[in-house]
Amino acid sequence: MLSNPFTKILQEGVDRRRFLRRAGGIGAATMLSGIAGNALTSTPARAASTLTDADIFNFALNFEYLGSQYYLAALGTSLPASLTGTNPGKVVKAANTAVPFTDSPTGYFAQQLANDEVGHVSVIREVLGSSAIAQPEIDLQNSWTSLAMAAGLIVPGQTFNPFASEIDFLLGAYVLEDVCVTALTGAAHLISSPTNLAYAASILGTEGYQVGMIRSQLSAYGAGSVTDAISNLRSKLTNAINPTAGVDDNGTDYTNTAGGRNPYNFTNVDVNAQAFRRTPQEVLAIAYGGGTTGGGFFPSGVNGTVKSA
Amino acid sequence: MTENPAGDGTDSKRMLGRMGLSALALGAISAVGTKTAEAATAATYADADILNFALNLEYLEAEYYLRAVTGSGLTSSMTGVSSNQVIAPTTTLVPFQNTAIAYWAQRIANDELTHVNFLRLGLGSAAVPEPTIDLVNSFTTLAVAAGLIPAGQTFNPFESEINFLIGAYIFEDVGVTAYAGAANKLTMAANISYSASILAVEAEHAGCIRSYLAGQGGGKVTNAISALRQKLSGVTDKGTDLSGETPPGNPFNFANTDYNGQVYRRTPAEVLNVVFGKPGTGVTKGLFFPNGVSGYFATS
Repeated sequence: MLSNPFTKILQEGVDRRRFLRRAGGIGAATMLSGIAGNALTSTPARAASTLTDADIFNFALNFEYLGSQYYLAALGTSLPASLTGTNPGKVVKAANTAVPFTDSPTGYFAQQLANDEVGHVSVIREVLGSSAIAQPEIDLQNSWTSLAMAAGLIVPGQTFNPFASEIDFLLGAYVLEDVCVTALTGAAHLISSPTNLAYAASILGTEGYQVGMIRSQLSAYGAGSVTDAISNLRSKLTNAINPTAGVDDNGTDYTNTAGGRNPYNFTNVDVNAQAFRRTPQEVLAIAYGGGTTGGGFFPSGVNGTVKSA
Repeated sequence: MTENPAGDGTDSKRMLGRMGLSALALGAISAVGTKTAEAATAATYADADILNFALNLEYLEAEYYLRAVTGSGLTSSMTGVSSNQVIAPTTTLVPFQNTAIAYWAQRIANDELTHVNFLRLGLGSAAVPEPTIDLVNSFTTLAVAAGLIPAGQTFNPFESEINFLIGAYIFEDVGVTAYAGAANKLTMAANISYSASILAVEAEHAGCIRSYLAGQGGGKVTNAISALRQKLSGVTDKGTDLSGETPPGNPFNFANTDYNGQVYRRTPAEVLNVVFGKPGTGVTKGLFFPNGVSGYFATS
């Protein structure tokens, strides 16, 4: 038998009544308040956008560079020069970033995360050809501590190093992956070529798998309050540039407006069970840690047409 | 356990191979920004047909998860049909032992129930009614076909939480491939957004289920189910233990993706091959839908 990654689960009873209350609370009118009746059949054709498919894929490529460098760093390596473009920005990181994986599945999960993200960089660069942007400057060191401070997870003087342990590694992945999902769900409708939309959908699917693994694992490890703090920060950063966004991020210990609580909330969805969607500007606001033209994971900003939060 | 998974000489080889990316793997990708022959203008179906197809799958998933978590399924106000159309065991409440799994199940049940309601409200009077759904014979037939049990035995996914997760494994990856395959067949911006958001949720479900089953040594079982789905649909499908591949792949494969990190896509016909349990064209019913599905996309 393989090792069980869920050794820290409290064997408390299941509250079925709570769920029933919650299910009962999903009246169609309340639940679907986010959409107008018949929106699925009466909405106008695709939104007009000044962004080309290449702009959107390049925007996504910045985040695939970030994800790849993070996961590869966790495995003690980095993207080869053949995949980072001409004059790529540097990657700021500690000397030793190889995560001391102690749990067999998590180590392999990390490997798959790295494989898939590198695959995304490869595919997007291939699709874009000569118009592919180079890797922007990426910070995998100071960014984490600033973010953890802003989320209230550490106090001044402390640092957060996502490479210190496999749990810390999963938390770092949590920071990144939910954002990638919202970036792709938010951008899907802007893509004009059906072929490109198919590829974007398949990449989105993969990011969803990653989120499902990361959130379910962290929830089982009892990381609810930490993930909640990170989600609250992301929501706060979105709302700083779009006050009408409302809560657009839920942690893994989630209580809905009707009082139903799920302390193992592994999907990050709105009342319509839809993964949240963010505009490129909202995504940048988070990645920049509140900055407008750079900061956070991208100290000098991202590359491409869409660069400012 | 390997201290440095990248250094174990298996997947790292694969990763390095990919870093030298062959043009072959990407031959199908066209230039960005150009309309292709795949353009939706040639379609004879509307967005509502695609979303109704999805609704059939959401009915199936909602009936399964709601029964597992609450003991009963969708109410008639949520199905468009007055009488019960679901073949299910008398007792479906799963005896959850693990708190995390119980709450995960709740989360999935909530999501799928909400997807049904969301699609039905959006589609309005165009929404298809729930077709007849079989949650009894389907699972046993499928388990026998996958070689998980010998003929004569039964597989009841409501019997234990592990069985429940295996049942969930059967559905979720298919939902991902269905939404991924349908994305570029939609024409309206809002529908593309909704569909993308639902795709992400289905993938989150699948990622949870696959990572847990992988961690529990479910490789053999998931591999057998994936192999069957691949055989039925002709679309590649990977289980959670890829260590038997050449070169050896990841033994804890939580994402059903190709070499380039893309989830596989199925056409409606290929999805129907899986849920009807029969390969080829012209299949109109079977397995989970003994009387077929409702709407434009009803035949493989």
